[in-house]
Amino acid sequence: MKRTVPLIISFIVGLVMVGEFFIPHYKYRAVTSELLEWGLILAAGAFILGLVNLVQVNLPVVIQKKEDWGYKLVMLITLVVTLLIGIYSGTGRQDDGEHYKWLFDYMFVPLNATMFALLAFYIASAAFRAFRARNLEATLLLAAAILVMLARVPIGEAIPVVGDYLPKVMNWIMDVPNIAGRRAIFIGAALGAVSTGLRVILGLERSHLGGE
Amino acid sequence: MYQFLKRFQSLDRRWVFLGMAISIVLPMLFPVHFPTKVDERVQSLYDRLEELEPGDKVFVSADFDPASRPELEPFFRANLHHMFSRDVDIVIGSLWPFAPPLVTPMIEDLAAQHGAVYGEDYAFLGFKMGNELAIKMIGDDIIKAFPVDSRENVTADLPIMNGIRQAQDFELIMSVSAGFPGTKEYVLQIQGQYNLEIASSTTAVSTPDYVPFYKAGQLFGLAGGMPGSAHYEQLVYEDYPVEGVRMMATQALDVLNLGHLYIIILIVFGNIAFFLTREVEE
Amino acid sequence: MNKLLKAILLLCATLLPTSGYATTVTDLSVESPKNGDGLTLDISWNISVEGEHADAVLVVRSKDGESWEQTGDIIAISDSAAYEHSDRLDVPGTWSYKVVLLNADSPEDLDLLLAQARTSSVVSGEPVGKWINTNQGHIALMCLILLVGWLMLHYTKRAMSGDEIYIRKMPGIDAIEEGIGRATEMGKPVLYVPGIDDLQDIQTIASMLILGQVSKTVAEYQSDLIVSCCIPIVREVADEVVRAGFFQAGHPDAFDPTSVRFISSEQFAFCAGTNGIIHREKPATNIYFGRFFAESLILAETGYVNRSIQIAGTAEATQLPFFVAACDYTLIGEELFAVSAYLSRDPRLVSSLKASDMIKVACVAAMIIGTILASLDNDILVNLFTISG
Repeated sequence: MKRTVPLIISFIVGLVMVGEFFIPHYKYRAVTSELLEWGLILAAGAFILGLVNLVQVNLPVVIQKKEDWGYKLVMLITLVVTLLIGIYSGTGRQDDGEHYKWLFDYMFVPLNATMFALLAFYIASAAFRAFRARNLEATLLLAAAILVMLARVPIGEAIPVVGDYLPKVMNWIMDVPNIAGRRAIFIGAALGAVSTGLRVILGLERSHLGGE
Repeated sequence: MYQFLKRFQSLDRRWVFLGMAISIVLPMLFPVHFPTKVDERVQSLYDRLEELEPGDKVFVSADFDPASRPELEPFFRANLHHMFSRDVDIVIGSLWPFAPPLVTPMIEDLAAQHGAVYGEDYAFLGFKMGNELAIKMIGDDIIKAFPVDSRENVTADLPIMNGIRQAQDFELIMSVSAGFPGTKEYVLQIQGQYNLEIASSTTAVSTPDYVPFYKAGQLFGLAGGMPGSAHYEQLVYEDYPVEGVRMMATQALDVLNLGHLYIIILIVFGNIAFFLTREVEE
Repeated sequence: MNKLLKAILLLCATLLPTSGYATTVTDLSVESPKNGDGLTLDISWNISVEGEHADAVLVVRSKDGESWEQTGDIIAISDSAAYEHSDRLDVPGTWSYKVVLLNADSPEDLDLLLAQARTSSVVSGEPVGKWINTNQGHIALMCLILLVGWLMLHYTKRAMSGDEIYIRKMPGIDAIEEGIGRATEMGKPVLYVPGIDDLQDIQTIASMLILGQVSKTVAEYQSDLIVSCCIPIVREVADEVVRAGFFQAGHPDAFDPTSVRFISSEQFAFCAGTNGIIHREKPATNIYFGRFFAESLILAETGYVNRSIQIAGTAEATQLPFFVAACDYTLIGEELFAVSAYLSRDPRLVSSLKASDMIKVACVAAMIIGTILASLDNDILVNLFTISG
């Protein structure tokens, strides 16, 4: 029963949602829209559970002063402060002058941008480490990477003699082998996705439901 | 020499990071401004927008966050400036929760510059949760997707929304997208179904993903990353100049230049060291 | 007789031109679209102009024939042309439409406008909702899905009756068990990251299916598992899956509820939190299966610094290069969807891989044949799968 009911629900709901693509009637769309709204409500409700989990995992570490408890304390304090300010500010929280907006503009935006900016440095170290011409494929990868990087910026176009040809070579690399490879990945992944979806809908895949 | 080359191959990442930091800071302090050619995909986007008539309605989906702001904000600003200059009516919505506080000041700033009236010339419908589901709703019934706008007005009552019920009622859709949900979801979910004209400005890392859509005609224009934003800025501000405007992407191209060059030099020297030490070992 | 007279008058009204300022509206018709949803009507009409003419037209509709409302925008007229308007209704039933001619002096109030302006005749129509989309592309896609489903069930039946199905070796998947063994020997945990997308994404679903197998193996090896989740509802599902995995391995008490953690639903906050887990708890093996975006390289580089074995799998083509550069093993695209079948060796799941492989062969054949046909100017295969309307 514990496994059968979820399987039946998966099957029925899966069929109904697949059917939406093929059945244009507004009465059918009303059913699927309703199901989608239920999904959104469930997902929103899960945020409360996520909040509970954050506290559940981190508060005992702070109370027991285990390793790195200071970081957890900062996280919990930030969580509470942001939550209270957001609730207190209400629907006008995104207005200028509101504390919530201040938190967003002067804490969230710079922190978010900083994390993204790390990518520039990590790409440099990953590229330096990974792009070695160990074999033919690695050499092709290396050559393509250098050509595309040079051609994407004005300095590449300014190189005498080859500068005019670099964008053409780059466009060929991006338009032909790159797209061919991506399309192959898209098609393979799409078929894999259909296969996985059908396995779940048809009840062939049960590893997410528990023991036999 | 051999020892040096061997150590160079396993150079501490912190030296690599320091070199990168210098490559980023130097061009900011000493800009060079290399000339650049406009990409064909950006030109195509620009030309289509030049065909818009006053009163045409365009939907702009602003789907980016602070992380992708440097790449996409220049395009977003230039795009709004372009369309306001052509008296096109602009309806903006967002599928990313952190986009509204970012884009609201930009929209109000540009609207004020052009004397645009909220509700008649432009409207910001706010954030809609739901990813692909939200996009399907936008395609199917945008009023249902955004029952009230960002200022708590009833969307259906806004004059600009007169005659607009579905995505296909707009002349075209601009997707300023940093990832998911974004351009790909618009193309996959509603472009084919409603035969929509969609163009995209996206981050550099996502651009190769959308080139097949452009080649297949599912996107009529594609501005990729900082270079794409810079090309579009150049086109827009040449034809619709604004005094004192800061062309952010064009200025940032210098940083891209040196950054790319630094990575290429690192890779080349790394490989030289690799081959020389391999020869010695053999 | 009355009905006949009415019909004749209606026919004449439709055929007779409606003229005002040398503007004529003809051929006004309303029909339900071919694959309509039951709430949409397509209105079309022709306008011919001569000399001084009306500036614009407006389409109005009525349910009861008495109170009229505007539908759509005012349409400016500059020349003779055909016009179309797709009207989305709020309620089904029979609706009447007419076209109103406007000029600069036309009043803004609709009732006043209808009283004064010249209008076309009235035409009526009722939207018809179709229960099946009969477009060629939709039918072809439905047949394809049914074919895949049938193939899956066919090969499942064969596998259950004893036929052995071959799967090629995938080092990345074999490395999962090796990585878990390494973690056990080193006394360090295994970190599993199921991507940052929502539960409805197929990659996240595939990741949850793999997590079931991984948690079972971790429980068997009596090692520790940390699952770092970006979406709250994914955390709830992951919690159930890991719990079930430990239960299946016969170690339900070994499950630690705090091992499945929700970090943050914000991409880079999640990335920072997961990096913190890697730096502090120093997992021996990092497994990244699911949908990733810009944080992929940051996670992978941090794991590299920590000297973890890293196994990644995603169908997100933009992130594959970063994983390839920074991880020890990378599963590309469809390989992610094969992991669960590969690990479990369940005949039902392995047979589904065979079915999707057959479809892949059919796709390749269709591409070759389609390319040849398209080169000979025949678009039959291209049009077969074109989805429209």
